[in-house]
Amino acid sequence: CEDRLNPAPVAALNSAEAFDTPSRVLLQVNNMYDYMKAGSFLGGRYQVYGDIRANDFLNRTSNLVTGAAVWQHTVTESSQNDVINLWGAGYSAINQINVFLAGLEANSAKFTATPFPSDFATTATGYAAEGRFLRALAYYSLLQFYARPYTDGNGSKPGLPLRLKAELDLRDNDLARSTVAEVYTQILADLTFAEQNLPLTNTSNVTRAHRNTAIALKTRVYLSMARYADVVTEANKIVSATAPFRATTGVQHALQPSITTVFVGNQSTTESILSFPFTPQDAPGTQNQLAFYFLPNAQGGGGEYSLNANGVLSDPRFLATDERNTSFVTRVSNVPYLRKYQNGALSPAPYTDNAPVMRYSEVLLNLAEARFRTAGATDPQALALLNAVRTRSAPTGAYAAFTDVAAAVDAVLLERRIEFLGEGLRNNDLMRLQQTIPAKATISAVPPTAALYIWPIPNSELATNTLMTRN
Amino acid sequence: QTRAVTGQVVGTDGAALPGVTVIVKGGAQGTSTDTEGRYSLSVPANATTLVYSFIGYASKEVVIGTQSSINVTLASGATGLDEVVVVGYGTQSRRDLTGSVATVTAAQIANKPVQSFEQALQGQASGVNITTPNGVLNAPPVVRIRGVNSISLSSAPLYVIDGIPAFSGNSSAVGSVPNNPLSNINPNDIESVEVLKDASATAIYGSRAAGGVILVTTKRGKKGQSKISVDSWAGWTEPVRLYDVLNTAQYMEIKNEAVRNLNANLVAQGLAPSAIEGFRPTQDANGNTVDTRWYDYIYRTGFSTSNNINFSGGSEKTSYYTSVGYTDQKGMLEGNTFKRASGRINIDHKVFSRFTVGLRAGYTNSRTASPNSGSVGDGAFGTAGLGRLPLVLPPNVPARNIDGSYNISGAGIGPGANINPTSATAANPNGSPLLPGYYNPLVDLENNYFRSDGNEVQGSIYANLELIKGLNLRTTYGVYNIAFEDKAFYTPIAGDQYNVGSASNFYRTNKRWNWQNTLQYDVTLAGKHNLSFLAGNENQNTNIDRWGLNRSSVADPFFTTLQGGYVNVASSGNFQGENFLTSYFGRINYNFSSKYLATINVRRDGYSAWAKKWGNFYGASLGYAISEEDFWKNSSALSKVSFLKFTGSYGEVGNAQGIDDYASLRLYEAGLYGPSPTFYLSSVGNPELTWETSKKTDVGVSFGLLDDRITGDVAYYRNLLDGLILQVPQAASRGIPGGQIPDNVGSMRNTGVEINLRVDAIRKTDFTWSINANLTTLKNRVLALASEGQRIGTATSGLETVNYTKAGQSVGEILAVRSLGVNPENGRRLIQLRNEDGTFTTVQYNHSSTSTGNGWTTLDGRNSRAPNQLVDGEYFGPVIPTWYGGFDNSFRYKGFDLGVFVQFSGGNYIYNGTKAGLHDQRFWNNDVDILDRWTETNRGGEWPRVVYGDNTSNGSALIMSNNVEKGDFARLRNVSLGYSLQPTLISRLGMSSARFYVQVQNAALLTKYSGIDPEISTNGASNTGAGVDRNSVGQARTYTVGFNIGF
Repeated sequence: CEDRLNPAPVAALNSAEAFDTPSRVLLQVNNMYDYMKAGSFLGGRYQVYGDIRANDFLNRTSNLVTGAAVWQHTVTESSQNDVINLWGAGYSAINQINVFLAGLEANSAKFTATPFPSDFATTATGYAAEGRFLRALAYYSLLQFYARPYTDGNGSKPGLPLRLKAELDLRDNDLARSTVAEVYTQILADLTFAEQNLPLTNTSNVTRAHRNTAIALKTRVYLSMARYADVVTEANKIVSATAPFRATTGVQHALQPSITTVFVGNQSTTESILSFPFTPQDAPGTQNQLAFYFLPNAQGGGGEYSLNANGVLSDPRFLATDERNTSFVTRVSNVPYLRKYQNGALSPAPYTDNAPVMRYSEVLLNLAEARFRTAGATDPQALALLNAVRTRSAPTGAYAAFTDVAAAVDAVLLERRIEFLGEGLRNNDLMRLQQTIPAKATISAVPPTAALYIWPIPNSELATNTLMTRN
Repeated sequence: QTRAVTGQVVGTDGAALPGVTVIVKGGAQGTSTDTEGRYSLSVPANATTLVYSFIGYASKEVVIGTQSSINVTLASGATGLDEVVVVGYGTQSRRDLTGSVATVTAAQIANKPVQSFEQALQGQASGVNITTPNGVLNAPPVVRIRGVNSISLSSAPLYVIDGIPAFSGNSSAVGSVPNNPLSNINPNDIESVEVLKDASATAIYGSRAAGGVILVTTKRGKKGQSKISVDSWAGWTEPVRLYDVLNTAQYMEIKNEAVRNLNANLVAQGLAPSAIEGFRPTQDANGNTVDTRWYDYIYRTGFSTSNNINFSGGSEKTSYYTSVGYTDQKGMLEGNTFKRASGRINIDHKVFSRFTVGLRAGYTNSRTASPNSGSVGDGAFGTAGLGRLPLVLPPNVPARNIDGSYNISGAGIGPGANINPTSATAANPNGSPLLPGYYNPLVDLENNYFRSDGNEVQGSIYANLELIKGLNLRTTYGVYNIAFEDKAFYTPIAGDQYNVGSASNFYRTNKRWNWQNTLQYDVTLAGKHNLSFLAGNENQNTNIDRWGLNRSSVADPFFTTLQGGYVNVASSGNFQGENFLTSYFGRINYNFSSKYLATINVRRDGYSAWAKKWGNFYGASLGYAISEEDFWKNSSALSKVSFLKFTGSYGEVGNAQGIDDYASLRLYEAGLYGPSPTFYLSSVGNPELTWETSKKTDVGVSFGLLDDRITGDVAYYRNLLDGLILQVPQAASRGIPGGQIPDNVGSMRNTGVEINLRVDAIRKTDFTWSINANLTTLKNRVLALASEGQRIGTATSGLETVNYTKAGQSVGEILAVRSLGVNPENGRRLIQLRNEDGTFTTVQYNHSSTSTGNGWTTLDGRNSRAPNQLVDGEYFGPVIPTWYGGFDNSFRYKGFDLGVFVQFSGGNYIYNGTKAGLHDQRFWNNDVDILDRWTETNRGGEWPRVVYGDNTSNGSALIMSNNVEKGDFARLRNVSLGYSLQPTLISRLGMSSARFYVQVQNAALLTKYSGIDPEISTNGASNTGAGVDRNSVGQARTYTVGFNIGF
């Protein structure tokens, strides 16, 4: 009778048994990635929001569900689809990671006996490193929308509630915000742990983290903190001193000869450092798919956003012959659209393009910018790095030389806009440099002093966490 | 030494009553009357009194004396004081009852054009509020006994069919088609329905009794009688009270006027008047202007039939009842059908004088099909809902093109000649066609389908051994198994799965076994102390499994089933649950000369879903039948009151209905990361979770006047619900799955008064008139939620939030900003803002398509903030009726009978969101009353000046008081006129009874509510989301003709 009073579900696993076998632990590792690639987070919408906040895209449907408020800077604390959902998805991922990390620790005694192999302790440390890498990525990503840039007051501004424990019961609900600097400190601590403990290669080097993934993210994080010397130090670990630039240890990241090969199929080349995968069984979900946002209706997309003819498209340095123009810009009735995500047909494959997070070209451009800023406009390696990315797609577009740092950095930033169009890096760049979010169509510019320069804290947090403060 | 007594039993109408039980008082001898109401019984010499009883009639005691022939007339008395009342695990005489139990008899349930018996209970019993949330066949009614009894769990009562707890609530996996498992019970098989309301009556059901208990008893054969009955009816169902919407000419007039007003607004801002008067006539094949009445494609007169045959009988040893039934019902919505084939066998057999066995068994196949009505399954805002489409779609576009093809454009309906008024640009000065985005309902109706079938096997076997006189040991084993097969198909032609096409099938099994063992001892000591003891235990196991598939991207239009050709396949709708309930219970009834009465019920339950598994529940009651005192009986003044009993009860019962089987557990579920499987933390559980508690108090008085020609009762009830499970919201940054953790933290109270009155107003041989009336009041107060000041919003179909639940108020009150009407100066909607200092400011809205300001200004023209529901809103009071009841009149003149049944309800508010939509100034069609809009020449117009694109002034984008209405109504729910053939005639025809009747269900509605139906509840059975009318279809009117013939 007591047994009958404790029926075990057969389609769900009791938490007490979650760490009983190596396979269950591995499935939870996969899960941390899966939460990071939630449609509302890095599985699509983070990338979309990162681009549409700026001026390279035009909203075509005025649909609040698909980012119209982000595009026109009218988000509020109660904006469900963006402000509330991105926060919720980010922190859901963080808690799944924290629960896993706590579980690894609590169950470490099990790992020394069968069915666990004798070297599982090392494996488990590697898993923990994957968790901490992902947690760093989650906090970094949330900071770019919900907190003032690090460069505004050296991280002294209010950051995020720093949740590092497994949240499982009714206790410890309220938590105040840490400063931006405190959150960055945690991100760097996680990434350093990850770098030291991640394997050199993983079962998939695009959809799972390995040591170079952590290093690559460190270059992005230091860049956002304007710690350019550290960017150089980190990038040097995975970028050879001379062309052809590539990583010489761990996964051999390198640029592909043609950028189109990066986006054909499943972004599985060594240029993709981290992308999140989708399949028809594990689809991105309605109105999260990158192809749905950017492809025109006529090509199977939702036509939500077209390219802004007055955005980066109009910059003379974005050459008409540039492969990123010839291959990734498509025009329907003279309206330009981005065609980087090509699996756009609703049927039969439901938009299964991977969601990109980091590519090797970003590391090269991170390093180029950091070197221009630290070694000066004439730094030959910086120029070589910039040209490596640029001339791959625009063979005739090589920059000769720069005489002033501002011009050199400007060239790098423009290259980033062209190279990562639709990959969601634009907002990161605007924030770290505290640049004005440019005007577009009828939408005014947003200067860094404006309240809406960053998103409001969602009311889902304000209403439930008494220690939370508004932006 | 015995002697024979013979006689005939007739009703007050003079018709013979077959099946009346005749027993010797205090003895073992008994019989029942034959088809002509005659009986013959040998009685012992020492017998003094015979008792005549018959369900639905007041029983009668007659002193034998020296008579050898006794003819008796029984008065029909549905709530007669001496009737036998079914209570949990037994029966009791109403006279001795101290708990609160309402009885509804077979006649009130059978032969109604309903799908499930609860629908027929509407208005029939005090304390039971039943709402028909929409007019879709087989949608479960919302049943509330003495108020809303939970916030997060189910407020529904526990249904028990012949002792075995039933499955209830919509069980379909396909949103568009409802399936109420209780419709598998053929209402014609039901002998009586008892509603247990207070703690004394319900405590024997312990942890499941907070929402009350409804006991259904199916028919049994009667001793000494062999009978065949045929009951048939045919019915016609049609919609009533549909909104009058604009025809083509009116539509084009209003919408183009709205465009002109928009242009005027643009000019006033110094902008170009760029909007196009794009609402233009479309021609049909004959060159006439298209004027589509969308209702004609969606509604119809549905024809229904129902046929039931049963035969029953009994000998000294065996009695049996068997029936077969088939009903085929077509609703007023095209494609909405319900079919049920059912069979039942009930047998009781006396193996030895002290050993009885029996069987109750029913099998049913039911099939429900429905189009997407938008009225069930959170579909209120869908672009396919048939409740909404005829209100929204332009009348000046056709359903079909001239060539006969569907008028479609992509997924939605085609534009006809209409041009999108705001689509003109410099490059496109003539604008683009107006694509509504809503679907062509014809495509859905002719190609898609949504079906839910049920196969139910339900029943039990029992054995009863009388160990010594009065001591019965009984064991009952029951099963309740239902298999549901749900199917959906969406065409790729247009609509929800445009260009894709998909089919889904779901298979669900509910399997329950239940084993009860009871020991009952009835004894009378010293002739006056009547004692009854019950002890028992019960174990119940329930398994629910569901799995399903969705296949999409149909290969060819030829395929319309899951088995066809598709590109993709995905699992869908998987569910697995198991729960176990184990219980010990007991009852003591004591009465002293039927004068002083006491009952104690206790139950101890262990339930698997809870973290704290075991709970104790009880109910105790006292009664005092003062009219049984000698001083009362001997006083000529007092004895005018033939019966007077005071009762009181208190107890604590629990609520477990609706809790997830694994709610207290911390669980991981499987997912996918691309091609790799995952385990994710799916719920954190709560290791403290346990029952919600309902502390019920009941004080009542029942009475009989003038020899019980007037009987009734009045009761005051108070239910204090404690430890209500609420999903305690967690900081979003905690990342807890679902964002909340269930905990026993809330409390709520329901109080009210119930009055029942039964009057035999006229009792003549040729003419009788009886009145049955009941009235219930209800006051609901939420006392505590998860945190101080918490405001729980309940969204309608997941979108618009109208209802808010807050401590100190009734559950789910409507929060709306105050509309102050239309400004006669300029035709703008006036809204009241609440300022931070508590004062009010009146603001007005002027729509324009550009964003220079938000359109809101003060009366002196300054820009204002926009009204905000949470800041400026007011609460409007309860959304659940504060008073309700029924008023039933039965007339009988010779062979004619007339029933007039009025159901009434009120004191509640309704948010009429449908009305908001009907005055929206996008391309949506409008109610004809929009013609009384403000214009320069009609400054007193009821509706604001129409401005194209304005969805604020009407309430689509702002919950406003203009769309909040009172929900009071009286409904002529049923009128029936019957004629029974005279006994002499029918016996010549070889029949024992024959009645022909006509009946109108939902014959008339008296209400000030402006919507289709004040009973509409778009959020269905939601505890906190009642009182919302958003695009749902109302109740139909049904005319039936039928006959009941007995042989």
